[in-house]
Amino acid sequence: MNLPSNIGKSTLLATCVFWIINFTEEFDQDILGLVLLSIIPICICVTLVIILTICPVFWFLKKEDESNYSLAKRCFPYYIILMFGLCALGATTTYYELYFISFLVSAFITTAQSWVWFTKEKMA
Amino acid sequence: MKQTIIIISSLLFSTLFYGQSIGLNLSLFSLLALVILIIGNPNTFKNKTILMYAGLYIITAVLVFFQNSIVAIITNCIAFFTLVGSISQSKSSVFVNWLNGIYTTTAGFFHRNFDYDEKKEQPKLKQDIDILQWVKLIGIPLIFSIVFILLYKNGNTVFNDLISKINFKFINLQWVLFSVLGYYLFNNIINPVQVESATTSDLETGNTLIQTENFSEENLKKEKQLGTTLMLLLNVLIVFYLVTDIIALNSGTTSNAVVLSSQVHSGINALIASIIIAIVIILYFFRGNLNFYKDTQALKNLSFAWIILNAALVILIALKNNHYVTAYGFTYKRVGVYIYLLLTFIGLITTFLKVLQTKNLLFLFRMNTQVAFVLLIGLSTVNWDSFITKYNINNAVSLDVNYLIRLSNNNAFLLNNLRKKGTLGPVNNQAIFVKHKAYLKELNTRNWQEYTFANFQENDNSETPYN
Repeated sequence: MNLPSNIGKSTLLATCVFWIINFTEEFDQDILGLVLLSIIPICICVTLVIILTICPVFWFLKKEDESNYSLAKRCFPYYIILMFGLCALGATTTYYELYFISFLVSAFITTAQSWVWFTKEKMA
Repeated sequence: MKQTIIIISSLLFSTLFYGQSIGLNLSLFSLLALVILIIGNPNTFKNKTILMYAGLYIITAVLVFFQNSIVAIITNCIAFFTLVGSISQSKSSVFVNWLNGIYTTTAGFFHRNFDYDEKKEQPKLKQDIDILQWVKLIGIPLIFSIVFILLYKNGNTVFNDLISKINFKFINLQWVLFSVLGYYLFNNIINPVQVESATTSDLETGNTLIQTENFSEENLKKEKQLGTTLMLLLNVLIVFYLVTDIIALNSGTTSNAVVLSSQVHSGINALIASIIIAIVIILYFFRGNLNFYKDTQALKNLSFAWIILNAALVILIALKNNHYVTAYGFTYKRVGVYIYLLLTFIGLITTFLKVLQTKNLLFLFRMNTQVAFVLLIGLSTVNWDSFITKYNINNAVSLDVNYLIRLSNNNAFLLNNLRKKGTLGPVNNQAIFVKHKAYLKELNTRNWQEYTFANFQENDNSETPYN
């Protein structure tokens, strides 16, 4: 598992998604510096989510001689349905506030894409 | 071709839903989703099961327009998941269809991204690279152009003035993002995917129990003895409970709301615990080889007796609830009690069948989820706010007008008619007048996407003066 590469790509993806959604309400040039700074907390969040929720699946649930693809086919559906449920619950409890929506959407997309990157590692 | 259709559909998705509340838009979306599914999977729509689910989906879409209730909206969503799931595998159970439907809707795009046929790996990879190339070709120059424009703005006043004159405010970026969401959704459902492990396991497992190899007569005999003793004791207990309950029911007809409420609710709690324990115990004893043991007739009879006695308990609770409703009218909780009792009754029948016909746990789950799905569709055909209001006004001995006022606007016209009769107090009259007026305002300010049947009803949609 190429964890640093996955975390790097995921951080960039999460940052892009998060700020694209936020900028749809109001684009302010003055906060461009903040966008760059936000990469740090986003990277921490992404790292934590990947290490705590995705990596354990690959470390502990992978059978001997099982390919990443086979593992993903077995576990990804349940993971992503649970993730979607949590994000939907989060969105309703925060009354669809844009800031939280952007956070939850970026979390959902990033975790799903992170799975895809892990799964495709051996193919590349 | 498919991509063009998805893009057009995603623009329609934004037109229907962006900044709108639910109404005609959900019904139209259902039609649009059905068209997309037919275009994406023309051959599967020859299957009768899928045609039935498509029909049910359209019925629920029509119900959303006519009833505009939360139940109708939820039913429409569940019918959508069922249809999408059944397209991915038409022979699977309803609950697996739901799982496949939810998975397809939420993550079909990502699934297809890593789902590859090893023999066809190369062409797929090539396709991925092409997409990546397009993203690079558009994204990277765009990002750098924006960065450099921002930098040059500070260095040259003429350039700054020119750039400042460019105004993209006519583009609603949130509308565009909403279209992207629509694109994601339609792209997900056009080729439904499945949760393979659950679907395969569902297809491979039948409804009937099969005798396993580790058939130990000694263990089964002990288990049978334990089961028979336990069921006998529980039968005696429930008979005792039922007899005392019937005596209490006949001894005095209380009209006190608090006492009736307490009776119904405590009865329901007892029922919930009793039914859950009953089913768990029966499932435990009839989980495997005990079904094939020669001398279990007594245990089976005791189990049947217990199921029938629990059914009697259901009927007793229904009678209590009926007394409550006759005196004080319907509320959502009281309707909920009837629905719960009906589901419990059906659950007991399926448990009875499971023991009688030596079925497995999956049979119970399949049957009960199917019944729940059909019942949900049935429930969504009723406009509950209107039904409760009509019933209570015409039948309840003691009318709780405040409760009716707190219901959704679906009963605003009925309450206004009640107000016009002049039988209510000034506070209730004022509250109904305000509610009716607000509803009329809401009806008249709705966009076409938000229209419901109420917009076309021949009600007096003009504001009436308050008397």
